[in-house]
Amino acid sequence: MTTATQTSRIAQLPPAVKAVTLPALLIVVWQIWAMTLPETSPAPAPAKVVQSFIELTASGDLVWSTLQSLGRVLAGFCVALVLGLSLGVLMGASRAVRENLDPIIESFRPIAPMAILPIAILWFGTGTPAALTIVAYAAFFPLLVNTVYGVSRVDRQLVRAAQTMGVNRLRTIATVIVPAAVPSVLLGSRLAMGVAWTAIIAAELAVGAKSGGGTSGGIGQMMFVFYAYSIDLNGIVVCMIVVGVIALMIDRLFRVAEHRLLPWRN
Amino acid sequence: MNVATMPSKAQPKLRLRNVSKEYVAPRTGQRTLAVSDFTLDVRAGEFLCIVGPSGCGKSTVLNMIAGLDQPTGGDIEMDGHHVRGPGAERGVMFQDYALFPWKSVRDNVGFGLRHGTPGAGLTAAERNDRVNHFVNMVGLAGAEAKFPHQLSGGMKQRVALARLLANGPDVLLMDEPLGALDAQTRMVLQVELLRIWGEAAEEGDRKTVVFITHGIDEAVFLADRVVVMSSHPGRVSAVIDIDIPRPRRESIRSEPRFGQLTDEIWSLIRDEAYQAIA
Ligand SMILES: Nc1ncnc2c1ncn2[C@@H]1O[C@H](COP(=O)(O)OP(=O)(O)OP(=O)(O)O)[C@@H](O)[C@H]1O
Ligand SMILES: [Mg+2]
Repeated sequence: MTTATQTSRIAQLPPAVKAVTLPALLIVVWQIWAMTLPETSPAPAPAKVVQSFIELTASGDLVWSTLQSLGRVLAGFCVALVLGLSLGVLMGASRAVRENLDPIIESFRPIAPMAILPIAILWFGTGTPAALTIVAYAAFFPLLVNTVYGVSRVDRQLVRAAQTMGVNRLRTIATVIVPAAVPSVLLGSRLAMGVAWTAIIAAELAVGAKSGGGTSGGIGQMMFVFYAYSIDLNGIVVCMIVVGVIALMIDRLFRVAEHRLLPWRN
Repeated sequence: MNVATMPSKAQPKLRLRNVSKEYVAPRTGQRTLAVSDFTLDVRAGEFLCIVGPSGCGKSTVLNMIAGLDQPTGGDIEMDGHHVRGPGAERGVMFQDYALFPWKSVRDNVGFGLRHGTPGAGLTAAERNDRVNHFVNMVGLAGAEAKFPHQLSGGMKQRVALARLLANGPDVLLMDEPLGALDAQTRMVLQVELLRIWGEAAEEGDRKTVVFITHGIDEAVFLADRVVVMSSHPGRVSAVIDIDIPRPRRESIRSEPRFGQLTDEIWSLIRDEAYQAIA
């Protein structure tokens, strides 16, 4: 009885409260633990992280690096969107295209974006083009796979209905197949944006390792510099938090977009 | 229109000759003979109803006339021309409605006018008027902006009906079009359907209707002829002329001739109906 009422009382709390309660508790525990360590310890502590965050923001470094990474993600995502959508519609609508391309796609898909980094660096150097290639490569597969799925799973009866209304083939693709695939494409976009953001951080970390920092920028490289040169764990934690918060914001944006774009779904 | 394509008086609107349809399951290779040796002429301007037990092949026949499925044997002609594929001159109202979930009621009804051949030569205003007219006719005024998932089964069915009529097809292929409606709405729409079909018009000005129904009384009320199908495989087991004069009023339902014809058709399918659920 008591457990039942307790769970229901917790369940009644507003979602925002529920979302921050546990993290806040963990931060308090972390801070208490950090205060038991000697002052010179390099271990990160919440208070030091906050201080580091203020310094990095004030100098403009954090904002600039974040924007640079975000810009690369968006550009790479757009490239992947154009390629993934057009190829996905083709593959979904035509069985011949699908059966020919599927083996190629499926053999590339398991290759992690990081694994093509050496080639990207050799071809494009350590700057933005290489980072962009990695992002586009990572984002391409979720977009393609979900578009193909969405297009090939379109209710055939709707296509038949359009045919009995004298709608030609091309118009049927535009007015039936594409709208029916939109939910899958949105899901693919959301997943693609997630992996794109993961990939850019990893790419910048790795590219930073090669060039020794400075030129290519981005938040991933900022982390690498903290790690390899200044050994500033608090700075790294600041970067991690920023990366996490931005990923969360991107995801929420997609949910809002889904809600707006699909008023016909419950 | 040249002489060759001119429908002559003797020529039926639709001609089905020894039509059969066998489905082959892709994986197992299992064969189902859904329709066999189906022969039927549908006259121009005729209102033809098809009744028969569930699974006897009614929808299969309709889809073949629509050109959506190809017969595995025999031949289907419209106005003397082999039916090769679907076309807007043969409008279909599907048993499962086939509404576009992402389109509002208004846009579903206007879909063919906007994207298909039925809207050719119409201005946007004319299309709009036509959509409004049929939305009102099926009693959906006020629900124009709703999406299909917000509608009841009967409302969806009325959207599908309005969509079919808005496209103004020459031949109306209707698969249990009023099945999901309450008895009152169904009777109102039956009368309305007869009006649209052209009951009051000259026989030559009427559309041709092939109408599948489970309601024997509905078939007798609407039809010029009722085709009774038997199952396994689907065949024509009888064709009954409905010699009740037109225009038909609600009152004919209580006339003795109406009862006789209903009983006659029921006795033809009763045994199979019992078998189907035994
Ligand atoms: N795509 C298909 N593949 C295999 N068999 C099918 C297919 N479509 C229909 N059938 C079979 O063909 C037969 C006739 O089906 P059909 O849908 O035409 O029946 P119906 O008379 O319209 O039934 P109902 O009154 O229940 O709508 C059934 O036995 C059904 O199982
Ligand atoms: Mg059926």
